[in-house]
Amino acid sequence: MKAGWRLFAGLSIFYAIVAVIYWLVGGEAVGITAVTLSSALAALIAFYFWFSTKRSGGILPEDNMAGEIADSAGELGFYSPHSWWPLPVALSACAAGLGLLIGWWLTLIAIGALLISIIGFVLEYEKPSALPTH
Amino acid sequence: MTTVAATPAKVTRPNIVAVGTIVWLSSELMFFAALFAMYFTTRAVQGPKVWLESTGMLNVKFAAINTTVLVLSSVTCQFGVFAAERFQARRSGPLWKFSKWGLREWFALTFLMGAFFIGGQVYEYANLVHEGLSLSSRAYGSVFYITTGFHGLHVTGGLIAFLMVMLRVFKAQKFGHSQATTAIVVSYYWHFVDIVWIALFSAIYLIK
Repeated sequence: MKAGWRLFAGLSIFYAIVAVIYWLVGGEAVGITAVTLSSALAALIAFYFWFSTKRSGGILPEDNMAGEIADSAGELGFYSPHSWWPLPVALSACAAGLGLLIGWWLTLIAIGALLISIIGFVLEYEKPSALPTH
Repeated sequence: MTTVAATPAKVTRPNIVAVGTIVWLSSELMFFAALFAMYFTTRAVQGPKVWLESTGMLNVKFAAINTTVLVLSSVTCQFGVFAAERFQARRSGPLWKFSKWGLREWFALTFLMGAFFIGGQVYEYANLVHEGLSLSSRAYGSVFYITTGFHGLHVTGGLIAFLMVMLRVFKAQKFGHSQATTAIVVSYYWHFVDIVWIALFSAIYLIK
């Protein structure tokens, strides 16, 4: 990930220089803002890469030239095996958007439905049970 | 498996939820970039003279207090993350001893500060509308309400996210890595929204 943060830090510096040049040659406001914030975008990712490289405390298996597939084996995170909750979340978000065209009453109902479905989504695997949950 | 000896010792892989959050926040940054571009273009087209007529209506002192509260809420949010990294969900001492606070107390405080910010913004909007600056009254009104309004919606979304974290921690059987991850990514989002506000505040209230 060393290459990762250097790459994005370089991009960030590049955009910053381009933004200054563009300003000096009399560029318009949209371009200056967009290029400056592109620099911030690259800086954000560079900072995150740098931060996680520092935290990982070593070379990741995919960056190791002599690495094997088996080296990166292990727990990656928790993945839901099956869930219906994304469907009500998507439907109520859709209804909320549609409500802007049809009428505010639908948006208000849909925001309520959205909150309920997000709560369901977030808490799905927090049910108390005798079995180990994860 | 002959290469096992050659590989370095235990490496902590970046959390996938956190990586996804950073990618999403990068796209959010470009969303706000579009809003900033809109603001500066309208300003450039209308000229500083027209702009000054409207910016004079802003209450910079009030907005500065509001901004301070939001910035401090980022600090309290980070203390909540430190508690989450210790896997401490609730306080281990009396309420006034904030050095013993857990995730729940810090996030509740952050929530109150964020709610204060939104309340302040609603009050500010009400005053401005009363003075005749509305979304459709003139170009300045449109860009002012669209930029600060979208930011306000993001803060409101963050407040809901804090409630979700607290609800999840409350329902969880034990405070583990997945609960801590939720708290950490919500803090990433909160810091992001906070930084965007600092930029918006400097553009709208300070530079004018």
